[in-house]
Amino acid sequence: MIRFEHVSKVYETQSDENVALEDINLHIEEGEFVFVLGHSGAGKSTFLKLMLMEEKPTEGHVFINDQDLTRLRRRKVPYMRRQMGVVFQDFRLIPTMTVYENVAFAMRVTNISTKTIKNRVPFALSLVGLEDKMDRLPDELSGGEQQRVAVARALAHGPKLIIADEPTGNIDPELSMDIMQLFEAINKVHITVVVVTHEHELVHQLAGKYHNRVITLAHGQVAADTAHPEVAREYEARMRAMGMEPTYL
Amino acid sequence: MRFSSFTYLVGQGLHNMRANRLMTLASMGVLTVCMILVGAAYLLGVNVDAVVGYIGSQNESYVIINDEATDEQVTALGDQIAAVSGVSSVVYISREETLSQWDSLLGSYTDLYADLQADNPLPQMYRVAVSDVSQMESIMTQIQSMDYVDGVNAAVNLADTFVSLQRVISYICIGLVGVLALVSIVVISNTIRITVFARRKEIAIMKLVGATNGFIRFPFFVEGTTSGLLAAAISSGIVCGSYYAIYRWYIEHPSNLTTLLGGSLVPLQDVWYYVVIGFVVFGFVLCGIGTATSIRKHLNV
Repeated sequence: MIRFEHVSKVYETQSDENVALEDINLHIEEGEFVFVLGHSGAGKSTFLKLMLMEEKPTEGHVFINDQDLTRLRRRKVPYMRRQMGVVFQDFRLIPTMTVYENVAFAMRVTNISTKTIKNRVPFALSLVGLEDKMDRLPDELSGGEQQRVAVARALAHGPKLIIADEPTGNIDPELSMDIMQLFEAINKVHITVVVVTHEHELVHQLAGKYHNRVITLAHGQVAADTAHPEVAREYEARMRAMGMEPTYL
Repeated sequence: MRFSSFTYLVGQGLHNMRANRLMTLASMGVLTVCMILVGAAYLLGVNVDAVVGYIGSQNESYVIINDEATDEQVTALGDQIAAVSGVSSVVYISREETLSQWDSLLGSYTDLYADLQADNPLPQMYRVAVSDVSQMESIMTQIQSMDYVDGVNAAVNLADTFVSLQRVISYICIGLVGVLALVSIVVISNTIRITVFARRKEIAIMKLVGATNGFIRFPFFVEGTTSGLLAAAISSGIVCGSYYAIYRWYIEHPSNLTTLLGGSLVPLQDVWYYVVIGFVVFGFVLCGIGTATSIRKHLNV
């Protein structure tokens, strides 16, 4: 489903270069639930931006559904994005639209018929347990509820892949578990889920319970991958060879 | 695009106009003023053209025929003049006609006709009119060089004045239209830019859930062109209405000057469709350009 092949990303400023990602190799299978864990500055945002086609890698290739994103025509980018649903830390709901309209609006964009939208929006909202708050404005909801609206929006057009960027970053810790469990439920119906976060305690708690794969990023490299234990050993060896202590989480 | 998407997007565009009604009103106002000025410039140009055309058709140059020419040679000369391109009419004037004209002009002072009838000193002439005043000089030079032509009396100076006046006015009109077009583009793109800026978050979200650029641009396009077309409708009404009023006033208040210039403005029924079509195209095209230029940079997400 998602494949990173020797991906590097270097941000060049006038005076120096900032290496955000360095030779990343990853393969996420269809139907997997993956946590991408890392401190700020570890390369999480860049990792995400590459998948969302907001940035292009300096080197290497990113594939989604065997489509090389680095070779994707500009014109084709919107169609590629429709194959995934995205959930953001700051929800990104439109404050002037009701909950219903926020979900419907995202479906409109993908050229879905009005009839389908009318059927699908209440369904998507019922999946996240908000069918009774359809006519509320986002500001009238709690953070957790707003994030559930965002999840409903990401699900509404039926994507095979859900990408979440710090989905619990802006909500109360006691509600974080709810949101994460929502993603676990989504994964049960064979939708690939990638959750990018820095909350390692939450991740270890969930990953232990649901046996999720955890990929740890550090200093722009893959420092550990529970599906491939050798990755961590290689990373440690690399760091030691450079005379550094392999400190990651 | 689906029909339901199309109607949705048109609805969004109209909704945006209502939501930003103050900005919409402001840009429509400026656009209307621009269009009225363009329309006024155009109508002024058309009328100057018509006056110059009228004076051109009134131009009468006299070709004086040599006395030694026989009747056949005179007729041949007439045909030769008529064959020159740009000559619209050639009328023969006999000595007697000229004499009687002078006679009636002098009226009771003398009895010119009776005195000179027997031995008429006046020459025979051709009265020549040209279709395009700007070519008068070259046509007259050509005629001058023909056989049995003693001289040409042409109103070349008057013609020159009008031709250069016409040219100056048409340059002014073109310049005015250009400047106003630029102003309109700036105003429209500024309005759209404000709308786009107010909705930049929405646009970013739309991009991330997979909206095509066309889908995002369409409501703005609807907004821009609707303002353009509304401004066109308003200014068409104002310009055509006022022109008709001026036209009526001009006919009802004749003066020496107006008679000299043809006695009437170009009637409204001959120009209204140019005005309306021009405004619609002006509004549509400029708003399209304004929209396209203002939204581009927000689409690169």
